[in-house]
Amino acid sequence: MKIKQHIKAVALTAALAASATVATAQDKEAIRFGLCFDLSKSYTFISPQVAQAAQDLAMYTNDNGGIEGHPVEIVVRDHGNEPQRGVECYEQLKREGVFIFNFLSTPVTNAALPRVMKDSNILMQSAVGRGDAVDGEVFKWVFPVGPTYWQQAANDVAFIKDQLGGNLDNAKIGFIYLDYPFGQEPIEILKTLSKKEGFELELYPVPLPGSDQSGAWSKIRRDKPDYVISWLLAGGHVVASKEMRRNRFPIDRYLSVNWMNEVDIRNIGEQEAKGVLRGTNVAGGQEVPIVKTMLDTYYANGKGSGPEEKVRDVYYNLGLAIYSAGFEAARLGIKESGWPLTPENMKAGYESIEGFDANGLMAPVTVTSEDHGGGGKTRVEQWDGESWVPLTDWSAEYTDVVWEVIKESSEAFIVE
Amino acid sequence: MFYRLSGIHHANYVSDSRIFKVPADRNLAAFVFLFGLAAPFILPSLYLNSYMLPWLIWTAAALGLNLVTGWAGQLHLGYAAVMAVGAYSAIHAARFGVPWEFALIIGGLASSVIGSLFAFAALRVKGLYLALTTLAMQFVMDWVLTHSPAISGGSHASLQSPTLALLGQEITSDTGYYYVAFGWCVLVTIFMLNLKRTGLGRALVAVREKDFAAAILGVNSFYYKILAFATSSFIAGVSGALLVATFFFLAAPEQFSVAVSIQVLAMVIVGGLGSIIGSYFGVALILLVPGLVNGFVATASQSLGMQINVETLAHIPNAVYGALIVIILLIEPLGLGKLYGNIRDYLLVWPFDQLRK
Repeated sequence: MKIKQHIKAVALTAALAASATVATAQDKEAIRFGLCFDLSKSYTFISPQVAQAAQDLAMYTNDNGGIEGHPVEIVVRDHGNEPQRGVECYEQLKREGVFIFNFLSTPVTNAALPRVMKDSNILMQSAVGRGDAVDGEVFKWVFPVGPTYWQQAANDVAFIKDQLGGNLDNAKIGFIYLDYPFGQEPIEILKTLSKKEGFELELYPVPLPGSDQSGAWSKIRRDKPDYVISWLLAGGHVVASKEMRRNRFPIDRYLSVNWMNEVDIRNIGEQEAKGVLRGTNVAGGQEVPIVKTMLDTYYANGKGSGPEEKVRDVYYNLGLAIYSAGFEAARLGIKESGWPLTPENMKAGYESIEGFDANGLMAPVTVTSEDHGGGGKTRVEQWDGESWVPLTDWSAEYTDVVWEVIKESSEAFIVE
Repeated sequence: MFYRLSGIHHANYVSDSRIFKVPADRNLAAFVFLFGLAAPFILPSLYLNSYMLPWLIWTAAALGLNLVTGWAGQLHLGYAAVMAVGAYSAIHAARFGVPWEFALIIGGLASSVIGSLFAFAALRVKGLYLALTTLAMQFVMDWVLTHSPAISGGSHASLQSPTLALLGQEITSDTGYYYVAFGWCVLVTIFMLNLKRTGLGRALVAVREKDFAAAILGVNSFYYKILAFATSSFIAGVSGALLVATFFFLAAPEQFSVAVSIQVLAMVIVGGLGSIIGSYFGVALILLVPGLVNGFVATASQSLGMQINVETLAHIPNAVYGALIVIILLIEPLGLGKLYGNIRDYLLVWPFDQLRK
């Protein structure tokens, strides 16, 4: 009883303080973030959570005085994963004064990229788009804060090396992937690392959409790799888990790309999935301070921006991470160069982010004008039947090899 | 009254085979053409570069598909793949240093060759079997694009297009891009308008109606089918190349996926098979209405102060859009072009037809 009263009191004072600061925050001009998302077609497994996280974070920021006194406004539009509509959304919001964009879809980001670069606007493209965009010297206006797939794969190899006692000479690593650019991307880096570390690399392509994997897994049963790194999406993991059981491949040797969330885990079965590994740059679970704050301040009072169920999803944490970095960049930009916030100031703000981890939400990032990815640190988490348990610390390995690939790819991009 | 027929007599074949037999139609076309020319000075730049420009390019593409599907009666489910061939060959040619004028033609010819190559195999079968064969072409092309970095432009599969330059003039402004698209669309439209009154057009229609009956009349149906595929592929190739050069600025496989093929086919069917003005309407409906309805719903919910979940908000326009297609096809199964034709026919004698009643 006492605790409840205490919480009530805290909430009341927080609300009062919030309403007082809101008044001041709303007097000033807003900072507008444009979210042209695919909320109706292919990316619906992630975009609602990210949009909700952005809205919650904006609400929380505004309730606490905004960014340097300026409120944040989140503008959400649907583009249905059609490049044409993404461009249309970009052109429209651009004219409404938005200069910070996120498209959260690889095809649409690619289609909008030349325009964003030409207009010198800010493009947030964490988790989607071309990996070489972390090269800030070429992609001046693109901020893919987080790891590239190359870096993620390299970190996965480092993790496996660590697990196998620091030596990969006799190891065999399997790579199961969706056979299109998303899945093919890490192959090059894995091949390079296989030469460098001496492990044997086995490739198992799976045709889109990943529902037919029986051939790949019976091959895995014969090859007996020590670990399987997986670049599959959503339902692909569920099919993989079935195949793993059929082929007696231990699920705790299955290391997934960051695209695996609670929905997939539930589809596999929470107990069935026990032991599955996942590389990530964002801490999962609801114990993360900011997620807890959201649940306590908003969702407990029914004031969240969407259903609470979506908060209990790692992609919500990912959304918070993306927008924490964005808000931090805006804050630093205003702090350094004052109001109004311009794309240049925002860029400078991004590039002065140093060791920022959003209070334990994500891997600490240090964005520089050369590295817009912020270091590419990830860790491996394991599903223990109820939540994600981190197995390692945040780290980025083989960065020299990864940057060679990044540079090689980015130099082909011509900036006009 | 609006389409006055009084005093119009076609006394010879030349006059009877004119494109616009009624002066009102000609005037309307001239007016639309002038509006198109003046659009950059009238319309705000947003409408120009995100609605008008893609609309015109897609109309040109849809007219190409209409040639093979509407005129020659061959169902084509791999049209986007043909556009991709044109886009990728033209961009590679331009990157290689070939002037854009020739690069576009190279793109068109490459599409033409690949398009009719598939048609060769495909034309041994008819109807749904042909449709499936063209669908196979789409999948083959998807596979080629996602598995050959040399074609698709590196491991990210995005190929940058060099700056478009025509007649020694670099084109970088929205107005410039618009005029390129407008010029191409006008060119294709004029071609299609003329096709109707040539022997080729009549042969295609004969093949569509019954290919063996056409053969009895001395029309080599196989030859005309190939010709239809080749011509429409050429239009597709150039349209695909222009789409990338003036709108996307880089080519990616998703821009020419199977979903896009279905979309173009929908444009043609909703617009009306074999109808030129219908293609314009069909493209407008399929391409532009989702975005417009989306913007409209967003503003409406905002101004009404409704707190709608972003996901619901995204699905309402889809429902509206789907309903629109169903309603239009229920009202007029022959498409928007026929709907326009009905209105025109009604106005042809209005209000004098009222006197009789």
